[in-house]
Amino acid sequence: MQTFKIALTIAVALLLQMLLPNYLRFFQYIDLPLLVTVYCGLQRAPAIGMVTGMIAGLGGDAVVGGILGVGGFSKTLIGYLVGVASVRLSLENPFARLAAVAVASAANTVLFVGLHQMLEQALPHVGTWAEFGKTIGWKVLADTATSIVMFVVLDRVFSEQAAARRMAIKKRFYE
Amino acid sequence: MSANPAQPKTPWILATLLLAQVALMSANARHPESEQSMLRVWLVTAFAPVVRGADAVLSSVKGAADSYIDVRHARQENIDLREKVDQLTAEKNEALERAAELDLLRRELALPSRPPYHEIAANLISRDASLWFRRLTIDRGSLDGVKRDMPVATAGGIVGRVITVGPNFATVQVITDKHAGVGAMLQNSRAMGEIRGLDDDRCELKNIKSSETVRVGESVVTTGLDRIYPKGLLIGTVERIEMDPNAPWHRIIVKPAAPVDRVEHLLVLMVDQKDLKLDEGK
Repeated sequence: MQTFKIALTIAVALLLQMLLPNYLRFFQYIDLPLLVTVYCGLQRAPAIGMVTGMIAGLGGDAVVGGILGVGGFSKTLIGYLVGVASVRLSLENPFARLAAVAVASAANTVLFVGLHQMLEQALPHVGTWAEFGKTIGWKVLADTATSIVMFVVLDRVFSEQAAARRMAIKKRFYE
Repeated sequence: MSANPAQPKTPWILATLLLAQVALMSANARHPESEQSMLRVWLVTAFAPVVRGADAVLSSVKGAADSYIDVRHARQENIDLREKVDQLTAEKNEALERAAELDLLRRELALPSRPPYHEIAANLISRDASLWFRRLTIDRGSLDGVKRDMPVATAGGIVGRVITVGPNFATVQVITDKHAGVGAMLQNSRAMGEIRGLDDDRCELKNIKSSETVRVGESVVTTGLDRIYPKGLLIGTVERIEMDPNAPWHRIIVKPAAPVDRVEHLLVLMVDQKDLKLDEGK
């Protein structure tokens, strides 16, 4: 059931990634497959974060365009690292989750652009360091703001994990 | 999704997955036709009908809101449009007369006539899904006869070319994409150059010598030499010329004639490569 839910969430994220920029251009800055990856990674399961990242990343590459595997590579790595971080650090509280999204968003942009540069594929909005920094800033802001709403929705979809996380927060508080 | 601290194999699986994706991206980057991959075609083929359905619902909601606003300006717009119709009718008559003269001259000089090609209308499914690539997805594919490298245009001018084709969709690379290139020339001086996207809804006309006279507002049309776009299609107009007395080339910024960033309905020009070879000879 969990696997089905994750697959469905990835599919919906990819569909929305295709659809929403038609209506509001700011959606270009939002990476919905990345947010799904970070959410799954934050459930204290590096393997699930990693596999979710790979599928969401490759799906994103297919839907958005560009070189297949670049988004897959960056999201696989990010899914795993967020998973490891959530096991070792206390990332249950909402502010820690937002911080994780912000760091993951910046890391994803750096990896995505860096891999394209390595493969000698020019990308827009990264012509100078200042422009690159501005792009990272906007993407971090867009992803973090979207994650506030998206994580509330995903907490309802994955209600058992959300309940387990609330228990972990209580446990840490009383300890 | 429960915590499982005993996952000693996970780093090895991670390494394997990352290596597999490095291999995939290396193969893709090396392959010139990497846009046309099976994964991309399968996934977008499956998603296209769902996105089209959702888009139809959202468009009708947005359309209803827009209609209310439009009605308030309809009267003045009607007067303006009537004037425009009169003006365009006069221009059309003039163009028909010139076309007839051109046909006559072509016959007299025994030049081959321009091969006809038909167009199919297409609707937009998705636009610029990310910040990095300027792509449009349209609801026509190989089942409608669409092939790679076919030009896509609006009544105003060219929009781009088809780079991926699935059974029920095609992906279009727009002319403002940094990776896009179009053989272009200035309509008056016939000086030839190349159009390159600037990623900000504008293009740059490159390789025009600084000795050439270029005027703001001059039309830029296709040359047909790139073997993608037929000769004589309108690309846009010169918006700005940046002249450096020491540079051998002009820096010419072109505003596309088609509203590339907000186009909703397009025409796929069903052009065959052999037709373009004929065109090139003229």
